[in-house]
Amino acid sequence: MDQLKLTRRQMLRMMLAGGSVAALAACGTAPAAPTTPTDAPAAPAAATTAPAQVSQTGSTVTITYWGSFSGNLGEAEQAMVQRFNESQSDIVVDYQFQGSYEETAQKYTAGLQANTIPDLILLSDVWWFGFYVAGAISELDGLAQQAGLDFSDYEPVLLNEGNRQGKQFWIPFARSTPLFYYNKDLWAEAGLPDRAPETWAEFGEWAPQLIQRDGSTLTRSAFVHPDGASYIAWLFQGVTWQHGGKYSNEDFTMTMTDENTVRAAQFYQDTVRDMGWATLGQDINRDFLGGAAAAMMASTGGLAGITANATFPVGVGFLPKEANFGCCTGGAGLAIPSGIPDEKKLAAMTYIAFATNTEQAGTWARDTGYMPVRISTKQTPDMVAFFEANPNFKTAVDQLPLTRAQDAARVFVRNGDQIIGKGLERIIVNGEVPATVFADIDAELTRAAEPILEDLREVEG
Amino acid sequence: MLQKQTRHVTMRERREWLLFALLLGPNLFLFGLFTYWPLLYNFYLSFVSWNFLRPRKRFVWFENYAEVFSQPQFWTIVWNTAIFALFSVGLTLLIGLALALLLNQPLRYRNGARAVLFSPVIMSGAVVAVVWSYIFDPRYGLIDQLLGLIGLSSPNWLGDPAWAMPAVIMVYVWKNLGYAVVIYLAGLQGIPRELYDAARVDGAAPWDRFWHVTLPGLSPVAFFLSVTSILATFQAFDIIKVLTNGGPVIATTTLIFHLYDLGFVSYNAGEAGVIAIVLFAIMLILTIIQLRYLEQRVAYS
Repeated sequence: MDQLKLTRRQMLRMMLAGGSVAALAACGTAPAAPTTPTDAPAAPAAATTAPAQVSQTGSTVTITYWGSFSGNLGEAEQAMVQRFNESQSDIVVDYQFQGSYEETAQKYTAGLQANTIPDLILLSDVWWFGFYVAGAISELDGLAQQAGLDFSDYEPVLLNEGNRQGKQFWIPFARSTPLFYYNKDLWAEAGLPDRAPETWAEFGEWAPQLIQRDGSTLTRSAFVHPDGASYIAWLFQGVTWQHGGKYSNEDFTMTMTDENTVRAAQFYQDTVRDMGWATLGQDINRDFLGGAAAAMMASTGGLAGITANATFPVGVGFLPKEANFGCCTGGAGLAIPSGIPDEKKLAAMTYIAFATNTEQAGTWARDTGYMPVRISTKQTPDMVAFFEANPNFKTAVDQLPLTRAQDAARVFVRNGDQIIGKGLERIIVNGEVPATVFADIDAELTRAAEPILEDLREVEG
Repeated sequence: MLQKQTRHVTMRERREWLLFALLLGPNLFLFGLFTYWPLLYNFYLSFVSWNFLRPRKRFVWFENYAEVFSQPQFWTIVWNTAIFALFSVGLTLLIGLALALLLNQPLRYRNGARAVLFSPVIMSGAVVAVVWSYIFDPRYGLIDQLLGLIGLSSPNWLGDPAWAMPAVIMVYVWKNLGYAVVIYLAGLQGIPRELYDAARVDGAAPWDRFWHVTLPGLSPVAFFLSVTSILATFQAFDIIKVLTNGGPVIATTTLIFHLYDLGFVSYNAGEAGVIAIVLFAIMLILTIIQLRYLEQRVAYS
């Protein structure tokens, strides 16, 4: 009996110890306040109410920077951060790769719930706006002034995209445009002039000379489209404009059923099905570099990587025309979360000022192929020499003044990019009738735009 | 005396309760935090309109349910899920049984073969999917080369809506086969030798021995495997995400992938919550059916 009591007491003690360890492991908080299950995942706080404590009181401020670049883009980004950290001793930037643009935005959304947010974040063209209407990113004008950053030298077409009601929220950094890439070896083999096609009609005439077939399978296509997940809706934006159509109006009314928008979709379908010289690939860079596709439209941001990895000379050109020329901007910019201490905001802005100054913007453009975001960059001797040695980069920059910001349906409507992308997959892969599919997409976009419009009225009046 | 006795009992009872609570508490707390609370919270989310970012959640009653069930793609996705579960589980159980019977024979290199067969189980689903995406490539993939030997050309596995689901099922079965084989092997070795001896004495042919001794002996194992594999297929995500991303169009979108798509791509917490409820209901019903009807036919030794 005595022994049993002892064992039980021992056991109780063990359970107590075990229990608190388990509770600790579960919460990861201080042992003082064991949380009850009901209040543990606390009611999601408003995006704007993250803790505003100053955690650094010393002379150095460390800021966390979430970005989406890997591979050679990631190396270029790391090098930029390193140059900044070495250039001064007040601020240390800690660059953390978060995955794709989508994954970075997902993690930021989750971070806002859990109050673990970075001090500087790279947001793509389709993401910054959602965080803006949610009040999750800071207005930057005051900070820019404090950090001595002058907006007047930024490429206006790129800068204005991040501006709402005269206030800047998103600063262009890794901004790009689509570009027409072609394989010069295959072009020469087919006896084509060494340039990108002027029009889609001209490319339609060239394409049969570029393709290769094995029975009924296309072993080499003249052109490759990406799938929805790889932003076909971004590349199709320009094609829509070329056909005289558009995704939506400025007031968020959708125009997917516009005759010319549908005509552009019909053209996309025909390239793969009727004319049969294009394919839809999961990894267009892989197909282009491997010689499985003779040409593609892709971001200028891949120019350095593609040129370095290609086993053939790479040619680039402006996008082909149809009824007219059309090309949009894209890529990512930098934003500062709103729920962090002022000291960190200023440190983040100091980094932005560095990363987008005349000289660094040039280095970044040369390392990657992204647009120089500063007007003055183009005139620097380094850049002039570089353009001379690499005319492809010059082409990308020359196309910039002809570009414009994308339609609201893709960049301002939550998930608009993927909604349009899935629609195009239905048209190209399933061979569904473009007018029918785009009527569905029009309705879906309209529904997805409702909450954004509601929030927007609240934020902007 | 009587009073004292009662008090003693209450004391004792109280201490028993305390022990009970202490024994159960830590686990219950963790279950509550990580299982029951999310379940309840999800139930609540299925009735609100929320995008994870706005501070307020708008209560919309059954609007999310109406929206989800009225989309034509929802039924395609349910169908995809059923096909995926049926073929994945069916093929895993059948091929797994065949391989287990083979590997239960005294063959040379038997242990090596078992290890090779089991190795995909411990590999990361994402890695497996990346490797298979090269194997499936219709222009330079391994399958294309193999088919080329017999003069056939490879279908566009991952790009053609008709072939994408078979491709995903193939990879899923390949990855999980080893687990079924190991469990079957354990089951086979648990069948008493005497039963075979007795059957042989009674003049049972090999086929009869398999049908009347091996299969009934394996039934508890097969039951266990069917329950766990069905539940697992409903939660299969990694391979689909990396191999096809639910595409082309929605050819390989299953319910769990649809949940991810609605929740973490479209940021529609309410509709994602509805899908989670649907999944929960399906799994609950399947488990009840399995316990009620299948388990009765299982012969435990």
